[in-house]
Amino acid sequence: MRINAMAEGPYVAAQAAVTKRLTDKYAQAGRTIENDVLGEPVLWALSPQDAKILVKTFMLDENTKVDFLSDLTAYDNMDGEDGEGRFIMVYQLYSTTLHTRIRIKCRLTLNQPAETITDVFLGANWLEREVFDLYGINFNGHPNMRRIMMDERFSGHPLRKEYPIKQREPFNDNVRLHMGANAREVDTHIKEGGN
Amino acid sequence: MASFFQEKDPHQLNDFYNPNVLINLGPAHPAMHGTLRVMCRVNGETIEDANCEIGYLHRGIEKLGEDKTYHQWMVYTDRLNYCSALNNNIAYAMAVENLFKINVTERCMWIRVICMELSRIIDHIICVAINALDLGAMTVFWLLYHWREEAYTMIESMCGMRLTTTYARIGGMSYDLPDNFTERLWKFCEEFPKALDEVEGLLTSNRIWIDRTKGVGIISKEDALKYSITGPVLRASGVDHDLRRDRPYYVYPELDFDVVVGSNGDVYDRYLIRLEEMKQSVRILQQCNKKIPNGPLWVNDKRVMIPEKLDVYTKMEVMIHHFKIFMEGIDVPKGENFSCVEGPNGELGFYIVSRGGPKAWRMRVKSPSFMLFQAFEASVKGGKIPDAVAHLGSVNIIAGELDR
Repeated sequence: MRINAMAEGPYVAAQAAVTKRLTDKYAQAGRTIENDVLGEPVLWALSPQDAKILVKTFMLDENTKVDFLSDLTAYDNMDGEDGEGRFIMVYQLYSTTLHTRIRIKCRLTLNQPAETITDVFLGANWLEREVFDLYGINFNGHPNMRRIMMDERFSGHPLRKEYPIKQREPFNDNVRLHMGANAREVDTHIKEGGN
Repeated sequence: MASFFQEKDPHQLNDFYNPNVLINLGPAHPAMHGTLRVMCRVNGETIEDANCEIGYLHRGIEKLGEDKTYHQWMVYTDRLNYCSALNNNIAYAMAVENLFKINVTERCMWIRVICMELSRIIDHIICVAINALDLGAMTVFWLLYHWREEAYTMIESMCGMRLTTTYARIGGMSYDLPDNFTERLWKFCEEFPKALDEVEGLLTSNRIWIDRTKGVGIISKEDALKYSITGPVLRASGVDHDLRRDRPYYVYPELDFDVVVGSNGDVYDRYLIRLEEMKQSVRILQQCNKKIPNGPLWVNDKRVMIPEKLDVYTKMEVMIHHFKIFMEGIDVPKGENFSCVEGPNGELGFYIVSRGGPKAWRMRVKSPSFMLFQAFEASVKGGKIPDAVAHLGSVNIIAGELDR
């Protein structure tokens, strides 16, 4: 029985076809596939590198036609429910032509960096910064790996399960005016008699 | 001339021709809509580089989602996009119901669609009115805000609250529609489009408005997709994508409405899209008003159904049940889902990972504003400072949703 929060539509058949394609073609060589409560496919990648390869492959595959990154996030796997690995990276992919969703997950050990996908989707830039900020997961090749939500001087990563919910770290002043991590040095004070 | 100024103040003219002047917009500035901060490097009045600093309204809502029970967390969804709280309530309730694999009742679905369209109208009113206000057109603000007030009064009659509604419950709604609601909605649907026509007459062919908005803050179709933008801004860029039609939920397949698509992706197109979407929402509301069925509001499922107040006060078992639901929380089965609705600003998604029990293991809010602000940072470069204000108003970034 279908859930009426997901009403009938042409996308239902397309979603089934994509799930079948994933099961037949990609759920091999150690990768596993499962369905969530809505019947959308969740593909477990072998490694962060594998996850990135999968993202790129789904964009080229005529049967999946992924062209949109809906969301990129992570969650803590402290209790080991989802296998070995401290964190789970989650990629929510979407196809604006087929209107189907694919979720890719991969396991990360503590201090293991993930691979950036900013070269594929520009929108991943801030999402990866958010994951770095809140979970402390680093991204290889990210152009601007800084905190985004919390202050730059903040210590710890709040969404980790061991971070106490009532821990506070207030700052009295703002972050100094600057142009990001990799922007060129800007000198606002021109020397006497210059220009 | 130059020497004259330099004699008076050696820094003044130098700073004017300095290509490296830093300007700080926000976080507390009337044109910065809440607590947004943009740090710009300007050359004259052209923004050459921009860097957005967010997080001034970060309240750790996702962390709280792991600490509160599912019902307790409902109030936090009001504080995401506080201009369309009903939409967030319903999107969240839908995500939790999916974990239960619950089908809400027919009447509940229609009420939810009415709520979502009403909040879409309110959100678009805020966006258009404030955008025009930022550019100096105050009359539009007064015209539209009258109807926003009327819509809020209707919402107040539905759930007793105006801004932070908390109307939805998991498995139903907290109250049924009030008695005179149908007539009230009819009146709204009749008279609100007249105000829209008036606004259209004031702005759409207004020379000043066109000069300030056409060709300003352009986001191309390719960029919009690459930056994961959704909602009216994506449609203004020419991508025909609307979750209400493409991945329908509730009763949207039974409703007749058009998806509005623009072509240029500038501020003017976004304004036109929002205006037309409000008219489409009115169309949907009229159909809902005709078709809404009578029947039970609550799903008949012991796991989530909140007992009748009268029974709670008179029967012992029901009172225990009531206390179990509110003190311990409802026991949500294991599983996960990413369920999205087409919010006023775009795809609003809740990704919930449940490992059983009354609290979520991971509560992720995918907010459209986050993506919009990221694209704003990129597309504001090369424009002028007044254009940045017009651009920011047109994408309707809500700080509560951006920082969570």
